Amino acid sequence: MKRIEGPEKVTGRAHYACDVRLPGQLYARVLRSPLPHARITRIDAARAERLAGVHAVLSSANAPDISWYEESRLFDRTLRFIGDELAAVAGESEEIAEDALRLIEVDYEALPCAVGLEDGVRGKPQLQRRGDIDNGLREAEVVVDAVYTTQTALHNALEPHGCTAHWEDDSLVLHESTQGIFAVRDEVAEKLGMPKERVRVITQHMGGGFGAKQIAWKHSVIAALLAKRAGRPVQLMLEREAENLAVGNRNATRQRVRLGAKRDGTLCAIDVHILVQSGAYLVGGEDSDVIGAYQTLYRCPHLRAEQVGVRTNTGPAVAFRAPGHAEAIFALESAMDELSRALAMDPIELRLRNYATEDQTKGKPYTSVDSLRRCYGQVKAAFDWPERRMGQGSKKRGIGFAAHDWAGGGGWPPAEARVEVADGAARVVTATQDIGTGTGTALCQIAADELGLPAERVSIVLGDTREGLYSPTSAGSATLATLGPAVRMAAAKAKKSGRGKGSRVKNPKDKSIRTCGAQCVEVEVDTETGEVRVLRVAAAHDCGRVINPVLVESQVIGGITQGLGYALSEERMVDACGLVLNASLEEYKVQTAADGPQLVNATQSMPDWEANATGAKGIGEPPLIPTAAAVANAIFDAIGVRVRDLPCKRERLIG
Amino acid sequence: MSVPLESVTLRVNGAERAVRVEPRRTLLDALRLDLGLTGAKKACDMGNCGACTVLLDGRAVYACLLLAIDCAGREIATVEGLHDDPLQRAFIEADAFQCGFCTPGQIMSLKALFSRTPAPSDEEIVRAVSGNLCRCGAYRNIVRAARIAAGRR
Amino acid sequence: MRAFAYSRPASLDEALALLGASARPLAGGTDLLTLMKADLLAPERLVAIAPLLPSGIARDAEGVTIGAATTLADIERDPTLAQRFTALGQAAGVAATPQLRNMATLGGNLLQRPRCWYFRNRLAQCWLKGGTACHAREGENRQHALFGGSGCVAVHPSDLAPALLAFGASARVRGAHGERIVPLEEFFSLPTGERRSETRLRDGELVLQVSMPSYPEETRSLYLKEMDRRAFAFALASVAAVVRVSARQRIGHVRLVLGGVAPIPWRAHGAERVLLGEEADERLIEAAADAAAEGAVPLKGNAFKLPLLKALARRALRSLLL
Repeated sequence: MKRIEGPEKVTGRAHYACDVRLPGQLYARVLRSPLPHARITRIDAARAERLAGVHAVLSSANAPDISWYEESRLFDRTLRFIGDELAAVAGESEEIAEDALRLIEVDYEALPCAVGLEDGVRGKPQLQRRGDIDNGLREAEVVVDAVYTTQTALHNALEPHGCTAHWEDDSLVLHESTQGIFAVRDEVAEKLGMPKERVRVITQHMGGGFGAKQIAWKHSVIAALLAKRAGRPVQLMLEREAENLAVGNRNATRQRVRLGAKRDGTLCAIDVHILVQSGAYLVGGEDSDVIGAYQTLYRCPHLRAEQVGVRTNTGPAVAFRAPGHAEAIFALESAMDELSRALAMDPIELRLRNYATEDQTKGKPYTSVDSLRRCYGQVKAAFDWPERRMGQGSKKRGIGFAAHDWAGGGGWPPAEARVEVADGAARVVTATQDIGTGTGTALCQIAADELGLPAERVSIVLGDTREGLYSPTSAGSATLATLGPAVRMAAAKAKKSGRGKGSRVKNPKDKSIRTCGAQCVEVEVDTETGEVRVLRVAAAHDCGRVINPVLVESQVIGGITQGLGYALSEERMVDACGLVLNASLEEYKVQTAADGPQLVNATQSMPDWEANATGAKGIGEPPLIPTAAAVANAIFDAIGVRVRDLPCKRERLIG
Repeated sequence: MSVPLESVTLRVNGAERAVRVEPRRTLLDALRLDLGLTGAKKACDMGNCGACTVLLDGRAVYACLLLAIDCAGREIATVEGLHDDPLQRAFIEADAFQCGFCTPGQIMSLKALFSRTPAPSDEEIVRAVSGNLCRCGAYRNIVRAARIAAGRR
Repeated sequence: MRAFAYSRPASLDEALALLGASARPLAGGTDLLTLMKADLLAPERLVAIAPLLPSGIARDAEGVTIGAATTLADIERDPTLAQRFTALGQAAGVAATPQLRNMATLGGNLLQRPRCWYFRNRLAQCWLKGGTACHAREGENRQHALFGGSGCVAVHPSDLAPALLAFGASARVRGAHGERIVPLEEFFSLPTGERRSETRLRDGELVLQVSMPSYPEETRSLYLKEMDRRAFAFALASVAAVVRVSARQRIGHVRLVLGGVAPIPWRAHGAERVLLGEEADERLIEAAADAAAEGAVPLKGNAFKLPLLKALARRALRSLLL
C-alpha cells in the first residue's frame, strides 16, 4: 500500500508549520549570543521597538521570568554558547524582524569558555557493572584496547524548527513542527502557567525531525509570548544557522574500549570509559545512553561501562536517530572487527560465538531470541558475504560488517485510539503525529486488517491534541508498536459496535523486547586521493512483522543514507572560540543523490507476537546504527587503515 | 534605510499575479508569502539545499537566490502548476519521499530535465537532482520514480 | 538581507554611472545575495546589469569570446567548448548544481568571494574583511590554501577560473573611464593590505566578456576536481590542464592550473617547465606532479591536499599524454 499522504506531498498541498497563513500574521526572529560565554551588562531594545512594522520585542528586560534548562531562564542574562537566545522580535515581515534585531543594543562581559570535549566540565559518572571486570580481563587471551571518537553531528532536518502561534481568547493554538504534540502542549502550558487544556498543538505534516523535535524548545514559548503581546498570530521559523547552533545535535564522544576474549572468540570482558559532550545545557531530551549497547549486544560475563557527561560552551545535544547507540556501535563494532582480525576469525562467526539470547541488564530472555541470528543470515545471503570484487590501480576494495541492537522499537503504554465504522468505511482517530515515517498509513492498514476492509476505505485523524486521545512522542522507534495495538483493539471493538476505543496494554513482564539488525558494506578507497566510495550496502533488520514493506524499505534506505553521511562527511566544526564554522548546508555535508550506493534491503517479516498484538516493532532509528562501523571496517579491509575517529574523512586516509 | 514598495507583475503557472514588494524580497518569499504558493519550501535560504526549486523560463532555479523584482515578466512554474503529472504519480508509486519537505523541489528539478530529455538515463536523473538535498535519504526511490516517469521500470 | 534600492538602467553607461562602493552590480546573484544575506555586504543599491551585459558564446578565427552574462549551464552545454575547450566545459559541468549553473553567470563566477568559513561568518572579523588577522591560519583550515597564503589562506572557489587561465584567457573590463583588456593571470591577484580582494577589478568596473585564443586542433585539455561529496561542493583541489604534443612526440605546449589550493587560481609553472619540450612518459609525469606541489606550505589541517593535488596532476597528465 502506498503512503496515504502521498497526493498532498507531491502537489505542494501538504501544509507544514511554516506554511500556515493566518489573517494579520506576523513573523519573528530571534537574536542570539555572538559569544560562547558572556554576561549581558546592558540590553536596550528601544530602537527596535520604534521601528515601523515592529509589533513586539522580548528580551530579559521585559519578558516574563520563566525558568528553563535547569538553572537558566527563557531569556537569561548569562549566555552559554554562540546561538543562545537573548531577544526576539515580531514584525510584519521576516525582513523587518531582522532589521529590528540589528537595532537591539547589547553590551557583554565575556566569560571564560570551554569548547572541546576534553576541556569541558565533567559531570557525575554513570557506571554499570556486571561480574568482575578485573577477573574478566585476567582471563582474556586476546585484548583489544583502543580509543574511538565520534563527532558532533547536526540533524539538519530540511524543515527548521518553528511554529505559528495564535491566541483565541485565553487559549493558545500552536502549529508546530514537532515529533511530540503532547510534549509541546504540556511543556508550553507549564512554562506559561496555563492549564494544558488551553493549549492546542497541531502537526499535520512535519519536515523531518530525527530526534531534534522531540522536546519543546524555547521558540514555541517565545512565539506565544510575542503573539500575546502583539495581539496577532506570529510565525517563528528558525533560520538554518540557528537550526544548527541552538536546537540540538548528536553528542560527540570519546570512548576507550577494552575487549577481552578467549582464543576461540568467546568474550570475557568489556570495559569502556566514555566521555559524552552535552553542550551548554541538559535539555531533557538527550537520551544518550552510550553505555547501553555495550551491555546488551553480546553475551559477556564481565563488564564495566562508565559514561561521563561533559558540559561545554556549545549548543546543547539532543536525541538524534538512535541516540547513544549510533555512537557506541561505531566503537564497539569497530573493536569487534579489530578482535576478529586479532583472532583471524570471520567477523560474523565471532559475533555468533557471542550471541546474546537474553537481556543481560534485566536477566530476561528476548521475545524474539533468534531474530538477530536470522538477520545475520539474511544480510550475508543478500550481500553474498564475503564476496568482493578486485579494485583497479590505486582503487582498493574492501568489505565490512557490523551488527546492532536497540532497546527501543517495542513500544509501551500509554496510548489511546478510537475507531469509527460507518457505511463500509472506517475512521481511525488518534493524536499521534506522522513525522514522515508513514505512521498514518500503517495504522490505517492495522485497522483495515482487523475490520476486514480494504485499506483505501480507512482514513485517519492525527496531529491534533484537541482529539484528547493521548499519544506519546514519536521517539525510540516506538510509535507503531505503541499505537498499533491500541488501534487494533479499537478496531476489534468497532467491528462489533461501530465505534470502539482501544488503549495500549502492558508489555510482557518476563521477557525483554529488542530490535536489532546487521549490515554489510563494500567500499572502494582511492589510495591516492583518499576518496571513499561506498559501492553497496545490504541491510537486514528485525522490526517484527512487516506491516508495510514499502515503508519499511524507505526507513532502511533513509537510515543507511544518513548513516553514510555520519560515516563519511558529517561533522560540526567548532573553532577554539566556540564559533561553529559550518552551521550551513553548504559546509555541513550531508549525502546527495550522487553519493548513493546500491542499497539492498534484506529485511524480512519476523512477527514478534510476544511483543504485542500486532507483531510489529519499530524500524525508524535502527538502520542508521551499524552503517558507520561497517564502513570503517570495510575501509580497513580495503587499505589496512583503521579509522577510529569519525567521520572517515580523506585526511585520515592519506597525507 | 527605508525603501518604497515596488509593483511587480509575476507570471506564475501561466497567470499574471501582481505583488507589491520591497526590492529585497526574494522570489521564494514572494511566492510563499505574497502569493500563498507554499509548495516551494524555505529550508536554507542560501542556495544550499534545493527545497525552493522552481522553474524560471523553463529552467530549474533556486527561488531563494532570486529577487522577485528581477523576475518580472519571466515565466515562473511551481509545483502548484502541475496536475496529475507522471512525475507526481511516479513519486507516489516509488515512495520517493518520507517527510515530503524536499519533494516539490525534487519534482521541479526533474520536470526541467524531462522537458528537455523525455527519456533520461539514470546518470542524467542523478545529475538533475544533485542540487536537491533529501535529509530523509529517499534518493534511491527518487531515482526510481524518475525512471518510472521515463517509462522504464 | 538589509534593505536596498533597485535600479534597472537602460544602458551600460547608465549602469556604470550608478555603480560605486555602495551600489553593486547584480547579475546572477548567486554569490552577491548570499553575501548580503550573511550581512557581509550591505549595498544601498543594486543595479541590474544582466540584461545589459554581453551574453553567449561566439567563435571566430581569433578564438572564442564568452559574454559575462552567459550562464554556467550554457557554457557546460556548448558543443564548441566541449570539443575545443574541453576543460572549460567540464569545469562548468562540475560546478555547483544544475540550479546554480542555470543562474550563475561567467562574470559572477570569476568575481565570487571565497567560501572560507571564517570569511563567511559575520562574527569573525577576518583579515580579508579588513581585520588584522587571518583566523584560518591557526584555526580550522582543512579546506585552505597550500600556496600564496600571505595575508589570507582562503582558496579561490571557482572551477571555471583555473580552466580559463589554462587557456590563456583575458577579460574585457569596462569602467566609467573606458575599457581595458586584462589577462586573467593579472586579473587574479593575491589580496594585499590595501586591496582585500582576489582580483584587480576596481570599484565601479564590470567584466564584459572573456576571450580565449584559438588553439591548434590537436590541443587537448582536461579538468579534474575532488570534493567532500560527489556533487554540490566546492573543490578540495582541482587541476585544469591544456597540452599539445608536437609532431616529434615532444610536448609543445602545456599549461597546468590548480584550483582550491590558493587564494587565486594557481599556475603550476614548475610543472610546466618540467614538461615543456620533453617526451611524455610515467617518470616525466611523476616529476611534473612533484613539481606542481613545490613551494606548498601546508597548514595544520590541509596536508592531505598535497598528495591529492599531485594525484590529480598525475591523472590529468596521464590521461592527456599517455
